[in-house]
Amino acid sequence: MSTIDFSDPEIIAFLTDALTSAGVDGVEISAASGQLRIVVSADGSTRTSVDTSVATIAIKAPMAGIFRLQRPGSVDIVADLPRPVSATEVLGFLRIGPVLVPLTAGRPGLMTRRLAQPDALVGFGDALFEIEAQQ
Amino acid sequence: MSSPLAASSASCMLFDKVLIANRGEIAERIQRACRDLGLKTVAVCSEADREAPYGKTADSFLCIGPSSAAKSYLNKDAILLAARLTGAEAIHPGYGFLSENAAFAQAVEEAGLVFIGPDSKSMATMGDKISAKKAMIEAGVPCVPGPDTALPDDPSKVEQIALEIGYPVIIKASGGGGGRGMRVVPEAGLLQDAVALTREEARQAFGSPALYMEKFLQHPRHIEIQVLCDSHGNAVWLGHRDCSMQRRHQKVVEEAPAPGIAPEIIGPVGAACVKACQQIGYRGVGTFEFLYEDDAFYFIEMNTRLQVEHPVTELTSGLDIVQEQIKAAQGISLIMTQADVQCAGHSFECRINAEDPESFMPSVGTITDISLPQGEGIRVDTHIHAGYRVSPYYDSLIAKVIVHAPTRAQAMEKMRKALADTRIDGISTNIPFLRALFEDSAFATGETDIHYLEQWLKQRSKP
Repeated sequence: MSTIDFSDPEIIAFLTDALTSAGVDGVEISAASGQLRIVVSADGSTRTSVDTSVATIAIKAPMAGIFRLQRPGSVDIVADLPRPVSATEVLGFLRIGPVLVPLTAGRPGLMTRRLAQPDALVGFGDALFEIEAQQ
Repeated sequence: MSSPLAASSASCMLFDKVLIANRGEIAERIQRACRDLGLKTVAVCSEADREAPYGKTADSFLCIGPSSAAKSYLNKDAILLAARLTGAEAIHPGYGFLSENAAFAQAVEEAGLVFIGPDSKSMATMGDKISAKKAMIEAGVPCVPGPDTALPDDPSKVEQIALEIGYPVIIKASGGGGGRGMRVVPEAGLLQDAVALTREEARQAFGSPALYMEKFLQHPRHIEIQVLCDSHGNAVWLGHRDCSMQRRHQKVVEEAPAPGIAPEIIGPVGAACVKACQQIGYRGVGTFEFLYEDDAFYFIEMNTRLQVEHPVTELTSGLDIVQEQIKAAQGISLIMTQADVQCAGHSFECRINAEDPESFMPSVGTITDISLPQGEGIRVDTHIHAGYRVSPYYDSLIAKVIVHAPTRAQAMEKMRKALADTRIDGISTNIPFLRALFEDSAFATGETDIHYLEQWLKQRSKP
């Protein structure tokens, strides 16, 4: 029996699509080589890491990838800042091969800065947006 | 550094961008070799190493994970993803971390990238001590007396093997290394308990209960033979090193050549190492480690990677070993023969560690000021600078001071001066300990064994 490679971005993309269309909000798969956890939030975006230690919070890249403001096929439109954002709003994406990881604000607030250029290569933990948390 | 042994044509270039899957001084060293070969580099880092100086001089610099090594430098998927995102075509693993992980080498190969090191198959053969010993015996490399198979479960058969070898014996975990998973048995009455304990340790620490048994040597020296092989069956050995100055199985000072070993004794051993490489289809650089006692060599293991101490061989052989390793991975043929290898002079390397010179506890903090030795025959491999923060997450090695001179005595004197000229403020380092060691008369005479440093430290700590 062949083994499924859970590190393959195409497999991850397929599983994410399948979860979304089935209305399932997450799955965790354990294999000898490690664990894969996919969490899909209500609007279909995956969870991202958010630093909440200060009033001004940085939305950081959860992994290395190519930063995008819009989905492929759409033109990256740089909106004027500052602007209010909701907790579930998708602010941009990380593209890793065929996989697009949505980046959400995580909490409502005022987006004051965009810290990465569209199509830039970003690393784990690189700050992408700055948001002033709503009091 | 001159390269009289430069390889043949540049027409078989397989890659021109290398991802360096490591950190610290070796990341800096590999980047320098790549740059000299006209190759582009991708440096990767954990969050703790975001300010690493080699990040600024790399063509691309990418953070791949949190500070924990398990989630960054040991994260195979994150490294392969970084290679994919940056367009790197080859991965240099350096030493430590994933450098001897055959599964990682295989994953790199399966991703269509070049692993700068041996192929995963020969790495797997040499990574397992039992299969490595079998391969060495087949090639005529001298091994420590003991069977080249795992110990049986039957206690009476284990007892019989020990009797045939002769006490004292040492029980070792097949998958062990770095001084872990081994136990010395001085007499028959202690054998069965030692086997049971080591087997359980091996099961827990290395995931395999397989053990093997060898003759325990009482006063050996640790001698290494450096090899260089291409992927076309050509191989040479580049002389030998003495790495007997060890504390808790960790090398502290290395030198090349190993003093007091006649060429007619070591020559056949070097030739056997070359033959072994050719038999297993080995590619790149590698090191055969031996115990040496009473004019006899006993194979311990092969390190299928670049060694921390490679600079002492570079200074005596005149070769840039890292460049040669990269060329071998590019498929370039060696045009040199063994007769072309001419080692000259004597070289020492001191490992400068961020640690207390008395207790050897790791020291973390910011380097406030630094002064490194300079001059003819002095080389310092390091990534640190004033303002650099030494983090608690990784190995404490922060620099290597290397010297070269015509004779051993002159090289020792040069190292004394180099250490006197080395100052690193803001953290504790082992420099005072190294300075004292280079004043020791027995070390100055040479040919001290692997237990000498521990005994010397015990003597020093006595009131």
